[in-house]
Amino acid sequence: MTGYDMRSILKCVRCGTCRSVCPVFDVVGWESASSRGRMLVAHGISQGLEVDESVLNSINMCTTCGICEQLCPSGAAPPKVIENIRHQLVLQGKMTQAQKDISSRANELGNTLGETGERMAWLGESGADVREKADYVYFAGCLGSYRYPELTRRTFDILKKFGVTVLKDEVCCGSPLLRTGSDPLALVSRNLEQIKATGAHTVITGCAGCYTTLKNDYPDDLKVIHVSEFLADRLAEMDLKKLDLKVSYHDPCHLGRCNGVFDAPRDIITSICDLKEMKNIRERSRCCGAGGGVLKGYPELSLELSKKRAGDIPEGVDYLVTSCPLCRTNLKRGSPEVEVLDIIDLLEMAMEQKP
Amino acid sequence: MQKTDLLDKLQNIVGKERVSASAAELYCYSFDASQVRGMPEFVIRPTTTAQVSDVVRLAWEKGISVTARGAGTGLAGGSVPVEGGLVLDMSSMDRVIEMDFDNLQVVVEPGIVQEKLNLVLEPYGFFFPPDPGSSAMCTLGGLIANNGSGMRSVKYGTTRNYVLGLEVVLADGTVINTGSKTMKSVAGYSLTDLFVGSEGTLGIITKAILKVRALPKERSVLLASFENPELAGKAVVKVLSSGIVPSACEILDSNIIDAINTYDPKVGLPRAGAILMFEMDGTENAVNEGIAMIADACSSLATDIRTAANKKEREEIWAARRLVGAAVSRLDPMRTRVYVGEDIGVPIKEIPRMLHKVREISEEFDLPIMTYGHIGDGNLHTGMCIDVLDDRDWEKLNKAADKIHRTAISIGGTVTAEHGVGGARAEYLEMELGKALDVMILIKKALDPRGILNPGKMGV
Repeated sequence: MTGYDMRSILKCVRCGTCRSVCPVFDVVGWESASSRGRMLVAHGISQGLEVDESVLNSINMCTTCGICEQLCPSGAAPPKVIENIRHQLVLQGKMTQAQKDISSRANELGNTLGETGERMAWLGESGADVREKADYVYFAGCLGSYRYPELTRRTFDILKKFGVTVLKDEVCCGSPLLRTGSDPLALVSRNLEQIKATGAHTVITGCAGCYTTLKNDYPDDLKVIHVSEFLADRLAEMDLKKLDLKVSYHDPCHLGRCNGVFDAPRDIITSICDLKEMKNIRERSRCCGAGGGVLKGYPELSLELSKKRAGDIPEGVDYLVTSCPLCRTNLKRGSPEVEVLDIIDLLEMAMEQKP
Repeated sequence: MQKTDLLDKLQNIVGKERVSASAAELYCYSFDASQVRGMPEFVIRPTTTAQVSDVVRLAWEKGISVTARGAGTGLAGGSVPVEGGLVLDMSSMDRVIEMDFDNLQVVVEPGIVQEKLNLVLEPYGFFFPPDPGSSAMCTLGGLIANNGSGMRSVKYGTTRNYVLGLEVVLADGTVINTGSKTMKSVAGYSLTDLFVGSEGTLGIITKAILKVRALPKERSVLLASFENPELAGKAVVKVLSSGIVPSACEILDSNIIDAINTYDPKVGLPRAGAILMFEMDGTENAVNEGIAMIADACSSLATDIRTAANKKEREEIWAARRLVGAAVSRLDPMRTRVYVGEDIGVPIKEIPRMLHKVREISEEFDLPIMTYGHIGDGNLHTGMCIDVLDDRDWEKLNKAADKIHRTAISIGGTVTAEHGVGGARAEYLEMELGKALDVMILIKKALDPRGILNPGKMGV
């Protein structure tokens, strides 16, 4: 443990503010599943607490949603402590099977999903006239490439009209590895090299996990924006019609609370239809339950978290819109009654001329 | 008794999923927000009174200690199992059982969080007044067991004033009911009052009949700035002795003002040596009249007087004030707030003297001591932040806390006005209570002759 880490752990005064908002604790009910509990377990590990299954579960059940850090009066940053502790334990070979799978798949296949197919297949015919050089480059992400290839292609078709290019050999951004304690350096280097080769000054992504990783864990000179930010500035150029719809919006934690992107998705929504907000929004938004490796490692817990979040959907909306494919995937599991859309799906409905 | 046998028996009572002896859980339940530590053997999360009774009866038969715990937000180690044994985490028993507004009361289980109870009551136009800084996370059970109070106690009193009756599991597992649903009763000793504030040493609360109050129609907040805390203390005495009853009367010193402004810049408190925050609630006329009277009483001592512009500003001020105890940690990345010597109470007239003494102690030990708290009822919180990796800081901190406690007692005060004795302040009880502590020990022996309920606490 480094000195910095001890200070971060000891910043917690155990007041329990986080306990009242931690979504995982809300479902599990045991102290070790609360943010305060994890800070204590991290403290225990630093003091020689034996790392058994219960300790690993405590540390790995955190979605890194960051609501604890947002509200912590004493200025502690539990998600950073958790990621660091996970990393320390991984270095000692102490990890769950899910962590091992995430790391080995990402490093061997370039994605965390176990997909062996051609990553850039989503491009299809849209890949015919991709620019070599551009000011903006679109980063599709693992889920975008393999789970939502059609949406990803359509997103790129919109972006392409604004001169955006795409990487030729994109690999996982490294987010799942960073969040679960593994080393993403090989992936980061591979992506970074290609981004530089395009000459782009800005990376555009539609995934909250990719966004926070590219923005905060890649070198500082990389400018990163979400696809909603890019398009919110260009709505006037998009020939949009009004939709007779009422939708609600889920703030992805790693886009909203962790990086302050709240307005752009709302600007898009309110320019084309009615927005009826969820019960907890913006900085106080509740986690969908998928982040931090929880969907992979603890799928049942993740489902319960998603159901809780679905409980925040207001009555009488046609769709729940979000701007992250991981949130979308998990919210679909927890919200069978209200269909969950990506912000680009909604935008496309309003485009007079489809891409 | 073998540990595996005990585990089997506990699992038979509450179910397999509600007992834990895992390394992570035992470590987490060995803490609260104080510096007191104690590792349990098992943590149990009961859901019914019958389960609590069965667990306690088992512990009684086997001579195992039992420590009840709510949200673990205590500042004195009250829920820390210093002698091991069982921890009963009561937070799953969190139902509002009955809302009887015609009789101005509700019946609740002990695990409900204070703020959640008030969210349930608000649509009906009622509230439960005791308002600790930890209201967003502390449970009613912990509040009752510690006779907690908070910012509005200057007008509304402490939790004790709102407990009409209790269901309590005694040390041998017997379940009794104290008090009644009537607003007054003199039938027998007031056992309700005995259990309120007994910190789980006499019995385990499993249900409570609580008085609630109608929400006030209006609230208004006045902030008065002073050159130093002593002048603010004099203003408090002046305001209260002129017959005004504010619904809150808080003091913040200059460091605390900085901490609040750092935690939530929107609040934007004025810079001053000290600020008094007064709140008036009630009808519009009463509130306006009260605020004017407070302003008048403070005018000769204060350097600045202002009122919160609207409800939003008022709520932001209170939200930041509630969490300032922890927020002082933000002032220096190398330092963390440590809760010791933080809850003294003194007679109202002695407030300026005590504030002066705290400043002397701060200088003597070369340790910044921030002061804030419910000055309207003489309850001062002292905030000390140290480098928790520096042993010398710890030594200074503990010496300063000891002196704060002894000074408070010497001027007719108390070592704890609302946070509780727990394991953190037990050593001062003899000094503060004298022979009354012997009576407490007799009561403890009568109700818990085997000493299984929260041993090592309250000096009993």
